[in-house]
Amino acid sequence: MIQFAAVNKYYGDFHVLKDINLKIEKGEVVVVIGPSGSGKSTMLRCINRLESITDGKLTINNTEVNDKKTDINQLRRNIGMVFQHFNLYPHKTVLENITIAPIMVLKQTKEEAEKTAMYFLEKVGIPDKANSYPSQLSGGQQQRVAIARGLAMKPDIMLFDEPTSALDPEMIGEVLDVMKALAKEGMTMVVVTHEMGFAKEVADRIIFMDHGQILEQAKPAEFYANPKEERARLFLSRILNH
Amino acid sequence: MDFAGALSGDHLKFLFNGFMVTLYIAFISIVLSFIIGIIIGTLRYAKIPVISKVLALIVETIRNLPLLLIIFFTYFALPEIGIKMSITAAAITALTVFESAMLSEIVRSGLNSIDKGQIEAARSSGLTYIQTLSKIVMPQALRRMVPPIVSQFISLLKDTSLAVIIALPELMHNAQIIYAQNINYVIPIFILVSVMYFIVNYGLSLIARRLESRQA
Ligand SMILES: Nc1ncnc2c1ncn2[C@@H]1O[C@H](COP(=O)(O)OP(=O)(O)OP(=O)(O)O)[C@@H](O)[C@H]1O
Ligand SMILES: [Mg+2]
Repeated sequence: MIQFAAVNKYYGDFHVLKDINLKIEKGEVVVVIGPSGSGKSTMLRCINRLESITDGKLTINNTEVNDKKTDINQLRRNIGMVFQHFNLYPHKTVLENITIAPIMVLKQTKEEAEKTAMYFLEKVGIPDKANSYPSQLSGGQQQRVAIARGLAMKPDIMLFDEPTSALDPEMIGEVLDVMKALAKEGMTMVVVTHEMGFAKEVADRIIFMDHGQILEQAKPAEFYANPKEERARLFLSRILNH
Repeated sequence: MDFAGALSGDHLKFLFNGFMVTLYIAFISIVLSFIIGIIIGTLRYAKIPVISKVLALIVETIRNLPLLLIIFFTYFALPEIGIKMSITAAAITALTVFESAMLSEIVRSGLNSIDKGQIEAARSSGLTYIQTLSKIVMPQALRRMVPPIVSQFISLLKDTSLAVIIALPELMHNAQIIYAQNINYVIPIFILVSVMYFIVNYGLSLIARRLESRQA
């Protein structure tokens, strides 16, 4: 479904992604971990071309992401993205946040879009907040709205960039629960997160990145019990002991 | 001081006419410069290759000239190259050119103040750049721009008095004609003129404050 083939990316002289080769199948849940600055966000953002790659080939369902002929908006409607800082639209209600793209991009009617929005708000557990503004919600609720907003486009792929790292500890669980449910329903997910519980429970694969490279790929149980790479071992001991 | 003589019925009517010209010129210039300012500010924000650079040069030039010079130029210099305008048209043109440049800067920095995460969220859901700008970035930016835009409008209203130098029959111009007749009229007329400017400008800032608190 998602395929990186010898992908490199530079910011000026800085080599941020180094020879990335990665194949993610339909329905797979892949967790990406690694030290700060290792290129996790950058790799994720290449998938929906928030960042463009310098060379190599990146394809989604056999469509080349960086091909000039690719209709990027067409591609993006199929890929939901959830950000660390939620990025809800503060001037719009929860319902409007969720319906704007289905109405403008998928050309749904307002009624249709609102019906879908309510369905997903139920699913993330906050249908009563439909008419609130984002500023009236807790961080955990905002992030669940952001997930509902992504799902309302009925995407094939969901990308998550540290969806719980801006949250107070007591709110992390409610967001992870929504994500776990989604994973179990068979959504293709690429998740940058250091939440080991989540990874162990639903991830099919862990990808460990450092300095722009994928150093190790393994099943979560294997990876956490016995990381092969020295740097992965160091990294794990650091996140476990703090 | 001669309040009774200064504020006779005829004089009040004459001042009122001048004030109407002030408001009329200001209003038209505000509407025009608001539209032009939004267009230029947005084009500069969007970093369109050549256009944005050219606009930057024009805007910076205008912003660094005194308004008085632009008024002079419009009325006295443009006819030399075949562009002749009435006093009113010249005043409106000069004010609009100047204020459009000022407003475009307010618009541009308002747009720039919106978090990039907003754009990323919108674009990643498949909205086009134009849709993102018009539905996500611009509405948020406009709210932030209300206070600086209103204070710019207030200076515009006051700046119409500069058009006195091309004999536009606005408030200051008519006030001058009255107090030129009699030195005892000067203070009463100044007081009245101040009150007129104050009421309108203070009213504008009250509206601005109302708008601000409503969005908070
Ligand atoms: N727009 C940019 N221009 C230049 N360098 C950048 C840019 N964005 C990111 N970088 C650099 O690229 C590297 C990788 O950044 P990236 O955000 O992908 O890391 P990350 O693994 O997500 O880190 P974190 O865990 O802190 O989020 C970092 O060194 C960062 O400073
Ligand atoms: Mg990151």
